[in-house]
Amino acid sequence: MAEAPLYVGIDLGTTNSAAAVFDGERVNVVRNAQGATVTPSVVRLDKQARVTVGTRARRFVEQDAANTAAEFKRLMGTGQEIEFPAAGVKRKPEELSAEILKALRQDITDQLGVTIERAVISVPALFELPQSAATSEAARLAGFSRVELLQEPIASALAAGWRADGDGGGTWLVFDLGGGTFDASLLETRDGLLRVVGHDGDNFLGGRDFDWVITEHLASRLSTVPQRNNPAHASALRALRLAAEDAKIELSRGERAQVTLAQPLSIDGNDVEVDLELDRATVERLCTPLIDRALDVCMRLLSQNGLGPGRLGKLVLVGGPTVMPMVRARVSARLEAPLAEGHDPMTLVAQGAALYAATASLDGRAPSTAAPTGRQVWLQYPAVSADLTPHVVGKFVGGGEDTPAKVKLVRNDGAWSSPDATVGPDGTFVTSVTLLPRRACTFTLEARTATGTVVPVTPSALTIVQGLTIGDPPLSRTLGVALASGHVQVYLDRGAPLPARRTFTHHTIETVAKGSSESVLRIPIVQGEMSQAHLCRLVGTLDIGGDVVTDTVPTGSAVEVTIELDRGGRLSARALVPSIGQVFEHVAHLLVPDAAPEALDAAIRDLRRQLMELRTDAFRHGLGQVIEKLDRIESRLSEAERDIDAAHGGDADAAQRARRALLDVDATMSEADLARKWPELDDAARHVAIAASSSVGMHGTEAERTLLQEVLAAMDKARREKDAPELERQMKLASRLSNAAFNRTPEAWELYFEDVASDMSTMRDLPRAQRLVNEGKAAIEKTDTDELRRVVKALWSLLPEDSAARKKGFDSGVR
Amino acid sequence: MIVDNPFFVLGIAPDASRIEIEREAQKLLGMLELDFPDARTYVTPRGPQPRTAEAVRAAVAALRDPFRRLVAELWARHAPPTRTAAPPPAEAPAGIPGFRRRLGWRP
Repeated sequence: MAEAPLYVGIDLGTTNSAAAVFDGERVNVVRNAQGATVTPSVVRLDKQARVTVGTRARRFVEQDAANTAAEFKRLMGTGQEIEFPAAGVKRKPEELSAEILKALRQDITDQLGVTIERAVISVPALFELPQSAATSEAARLAGFSRVELLQEPIASALAAGWRADGDGGGTWLVFDLGGGTFDASLLETRDGLLRVVGHDGDNFLGGRDFDWVITEHLASRLSTVPQRNNPAHASALRALRLAAEDAKIELSRGERAQVTLAQPLSIDGNDVEVDLELDRATVERLCTPLIDRALDVCMRLLSQNGLGPGRLGKLVLVGGPTVMPMVRARVSARLEAPLAEGHDPMTLVAQGAALYAATASLDGRAPSTAAPTGRQVWLQYPAVSADLTPHVVGKFVGGGEDTPAKVKLVRNDGAWSSPDATVGPDGTFVTSVTLLPRRACTFTLEARTATGTVVPVTPSALTIVQGLTIGDPPLSRTLGVALASGHVQVYLDRGAPLPARRTFTHHTIETVAKGSSESVLRIPIVQGEMSQAHLCRLVGTLDIGGDVVTDTVPTGSAVEVTIELDRGGRLSARALVPSIGQVFEHVAHLLVPDAAPEALDAAIRDLRRQLMELRTDAFRHGLGQVIEKLDRIESRLSEAERDIDAAHGGDADAAQRARRALLDVDATMSEADLARKWPELDDAARHVAIAASSSVGMHGTEAERTLLQEVLAAMDKARREKDAPELERQMKLASRLSNAAFNRTPEAWELYFEDVASDMSTMRDLPRAQRLVNEGKAAIEKTDTDELRRVVKALWSLLPEDSAARKKGFDSGVR
Repeated sequence: MIVDNPFFVLGIAPDASRIEIEREAQKLLGMLELDFPDARTYVTPRGPQPRTAEAVRAAVAALRDPFRRLVAELWARHAPPTRTAAPPPAEAPAGIPGFRRRLGWRP
C-alpha cells in the first residue's frame, strides 16, 4: 500500500513564520530546532555571508541591525535589495524569504523524517500580483518543486471551521491582526462547505503599530527624546522598540512591566539610561485607538453584508496582537459575538494552509518513482470531501494480459464496500464511496476480469478525508484589460474560482507598422473594482511592438486576448493576432514601484491640493458623507507624512508603507469624487430605471422581468445608501437587460443606425463610412435586420477614440 | 444564460442541493481530466455544447452564490424544452416569410 499522504502548510509572516502538517486525521504544528512553534522572520548574514535564521538571528536585531533583516515581507515584489555590509552582499526580499522557507522545510525533515517538495504558502488577502509572484519565486529558491498560494483569512477560517465539530452552519468573522496588516473576513459554513462572503482590511495596521505607539510613549519619557526622522537616532529607537515589544508581551499576563536596558542609549552623544515602568492601563490607553480602527473595518464589513453586531455565530482571532487580553475583550464586546476558543492565534494560518493542501490534493512528498506493478489506473477523487458519498472516477491505461471488467472499492475498516462498477470498453469507470464523518478513510481498489480473475492494479488504494472544504480559491480583485476609451473590459470578476481563463476579442485602434520600433500596441492589464481604468491598478502590460510583428497590423485588426490565472493567482496573458497568425506572450510584470522619499513628497503635496479642492466643493454642496470620507483621508495623509519623515531617515519599509497609503488615498479620493458627482449619477440612474422598465416591460421575457425587479431593488438600495460604485454597477446591469429586450425589436437597429450615421463626419475612414451608410439605408428598405445590425456594428467601430480617455486607460491600444 | 446556464453545464435539475452540485461537479472534473467521451458535451435547449473544466468550475462558483443561483434557476426553469439533436437550419420553420422576424424573433 502507498504511504499515507502528508500535507504541508506554511505561514510566511511579516514578523513570524510557522509550518504545519496534516496527515488526514490531525494537524500538527512543526516545532523548530529551538522547540518553538513559531520562527521569527528574521535573517542575518555574518562576515562570511553565513546565514542565520529565526530566534538566533532575532537576537542580533539590536546589536547588529545593519546585518540583520526583519520585516522584508513588506518589500516583496519591489525589486528593492537589502544590503548586508559585513558580508558586502545584497539580497532580494524573495531570497531572504527563501531562507525562512528553507529553515522551515528542514524543521519538517528533522521532525518527520521526510523531505518535502510541495506545500501551500499563505499570503495576505490583498497581496498584489507582483507580490504573489515573488512569494512563488521564494519557494522555488527554497527548493520546493510546486507550491500553491492561499489567502490568509481563508486559511484561518478553514482551520477554525475544521475544529468546529458539527455545530452546523453559521456566519463567522475572522479578525486577523498580524504584524503589519489587518484583515477581516466574513465567512459562512453550510453543509460542510466554506464560502467567503466578504472581505475588508487595512494594509497599514498591525502589531508593529502597537509597538510604535508604545515606543514613542517610552521615548517621550527619556531625558533626551530620540526622533524618528533622524537617521542618527535609528539605533536607539530600535533598541527601545525591542524593549517595548517585550514589555507588551509581558503585560499580556502581568499588570506592570519594567523596561530596562542593560546599556545606556547613545543619543546625540549623550548616554541616556533607560529604566522606566510601564503599566497595563497605559498600554491599553495607547492601543485603544488602533483596536477601534480595526473594529471600524469590521463594522463596515458587517453593514455591507446586511449584518448587525450580535448576528455573528462566532469570532476567530488570529495573529500575535490578539493574544493581548484587552484586544480579546474589546473585540468580543463591540462585535457582540463569542470568541471561538481553543485556537492558537499564532499558528492557525499555517494549520489552515496544511488543511487546504489536502483539499488541493497537494501531497508534500514528491510523487513516487517506483515502477508500477500490475495494470495502471488513473484515479480522480477529492482528497477532502464535505460530501459523505463522493464519486471516484477512473481509467485503466496501458496494456496488460487481463482486461478488467468490474471494479470495487473496499473500505479498510471492512465495514463497507462498493457495488461492482462496470468498466467501459475504453477502460473507464465511475463509482462512489461512503465516508465516515470527520475521518480519513482508505479504500482498496479491487479489479476483476469478466471471468472473475483478480487483476493487480497500481495504485491499489486511495484515501479520502471527510471534512470542511472550500472549493476553488476565489480571485480577490477583479481583473481586466484597460481599453482606449478609458474603461475596463472585465475578464475575471472578483470571487471567480481559480484557476480561470477568459478570452475576449478586441480591435486595434492604431496601425502597428512592421519594423518600426516606435509603433507599439499596448494592452494594459488592470486590477480593481472600478469601471474606469485609471482608478484600477496596473498590474502588467502586454506589448505588441513593430519590431517583432511579422507583418504590419492595420487599424481595426482583431486581437484575441486571453488572460489566465492559476490556482495561486499567478497571471499569464496571451494575445493572438489572427491576421498575421502571431501570438504574443511576454507580459511585462510590473514591480511594485520604488518609493523615493522625494517622489513621495511630491505625491503627497498633489494629494493635499486635490483634497482641498474636494473639501471646498463638498462644503459648498453640503455633502455630509463626502466630508466624512475626506476627514478619513486627511488623517490617513497625516500618517503617511509621518512615514515619509521616517523614510527620509532611511527607513525603506516606512517608504513602502507610505507609497501604498498614498495609492489607497488616491483611490478613496476618486470614490469621493464619484460621490461628489452624486446628483448627476442619481439623475442618470432614474433615467436608466425608467428606460429599462418600459423596454423590458414591453419586449422582455418573463425571466428578464423578474431579473429587472431584482436589479431595480438593488439600485434603490444603492441610491438610499448613496453608494456610488454600487449604483454604477447596478445601472450597467439594468442597461444590459434593457438593451437585450430592446434589441429584439426590428426598430431598435433602425434607431441605432440613425444615431450612429449622424456622427459620420467624425469617423476614421470616411469613404468606408459613406459606403456603410448607403448599405444601411438599403437594408432598412428591404427590412433586413441582420444586414442592418452588421452595418451598425461596423459603423460603431469607426467612431474615433478620445485621446484624453485613452491616457486614462494607460495608453491602451485596443478597444 | 441559456447555453451557459450552470444547471445545464452540470447536467442537474434546478432544485439540486448544494451537496449534489458539488458532487456532480467533482465527478465531471474527474471525467474531463481522464477524457471521458460522454463528459465532453452537455445538453441545452439550443443543442449540445462543449463542456470544459473551466466551465464546470465557473458553474459551481455561480451556484454557490445565492443571488447568482436564483438567476440561474429562473433561466433554467423557464427555458424552452431541451433539444438533444443539433439545432435545425435557421430557415427551417415554414410559414409566412419574415413573419417570425416581425414578431421580434432573432434567427
